[in-house]
Amino acid sequence: MWLPLFGLLLGFAIGVLAGWEVPDEYSNYLSIAILAAFDTLIGGWRAHLQRTYDETVFITGFFFNIVLAATLTFLGVHLGVDLYLAAVFAFGVRLFQNIAIIRRLWLAEWAKRRQNREKS
Amino acid sequence: MERRSQFYFAGVAAIFGVMLAVGLRTTLSPEGRDTRDIWELRADLTKEQKLEQRLLEELESYEEILRRYRQEYEAGGATELEATVAELREEAGLTEVRGSGLVLTIAPLSSAGYVGPAVATVSPELLQRLVNELNKYGAKEIAIDGERLTNRTAIREVNGATKVGSRSMRLPVEVRAIADDADKLYSGLAVSPIRDDFAVENLELSISKPQPLVVIPPAASRPDVKYMETANGGKEEK
Repeated sequence: MWLPLFGLLLGFAIGVLAGWEVPDEYSNYLSIAILAAFDTLIGGWRAHLQRTYDETVFITGFFFNIVLAATLTFLGVHLGVDLYLAAVFAFGVRLFQNIAIIRRLWLAEWAKRRQNREKS
Repeated sequence: MERRSQFYFAGVAAIFGVMLAVGLRTTLSPEGRDTRDIWELRADLTKEQKLEQRLLEELESYEEILRRYRQEYEAGGATELEATVAELREEAGLTEVRGSGLVLTIAPLSSAGYVGPAVATVSPELLQRLVNELNKYGAKEIAIDGERLTNRTAIREVNGATKVGSRSMRLPVEVRAIADDADKLYSGLAVSPIRDDFAVENLELSISKPQPLVVIPPAASRPDVKYMETANGGKEEK
């Protein structure tokens, strides 16, 4: 449980300390890629809680979603249509759903534990 | 989750962390690019050096005052403090000021052929322009219709009437200005286009010859200090 959190913090620290910056014109791509990555991460966590976690699906999903989102943004910029909104919408909705599912799973577990404690 | 999966998950989370950090850095600190050329840099350097010098001079004068305070304190007197208070009161416009200067009068344009509507007041924009012009040519203290102009005096229009501070302006309006060099102020105003600006609004601005004694009254209201409180007498400020 703590290992992924540690990884996240480590990555964040590396990112801050390394001082990398993306040129302004590419910051849209980065933002959308971050959203995609966040969605996949939360999706992976949900799958883990539901015991349907599959490593291959997770890792391919992570990179595929990032690339897809960036591609959509790129296409949108060149076609003059705000296609990145499609990605924002899709990932945004899924993010909310996944977080809601995680919350319910937690609630269920909490209720179960309380019942057990009352029984004993 | 088995150990290996956890490592993968942690790896992916780390990549996400890096992306997040880079994204935050990019969006939170847009780097301003310096596009000044060497001359602009030199000009800026000179400006900063002047500022430094001014600050140093100011610092020196304050140190001098502090030194005198200490001496006074040791001698047991308070004349220096009183002098400072008097100086500050003068700066804030709470005292009467006398000196050489000009008296300007704003009146309706008395032209025989004029058939337009009668002008009853002078617009605040015009008054502000006049004040700017006076300041430009070295006026030290200004009073409009007996109202002393301080840093906090507003010149504005309230329901159609022009007000300077709390006083309504009715024609004719007398403007008094004191300057170190009244002749310079006079010749500056003589060549400035301000009289034409007044003429456009059917007003006549007459400028007196430099007068050796012009009296400017003190500001009627004390400045309202909102965000300061009296310090405790017992404690010494650090």
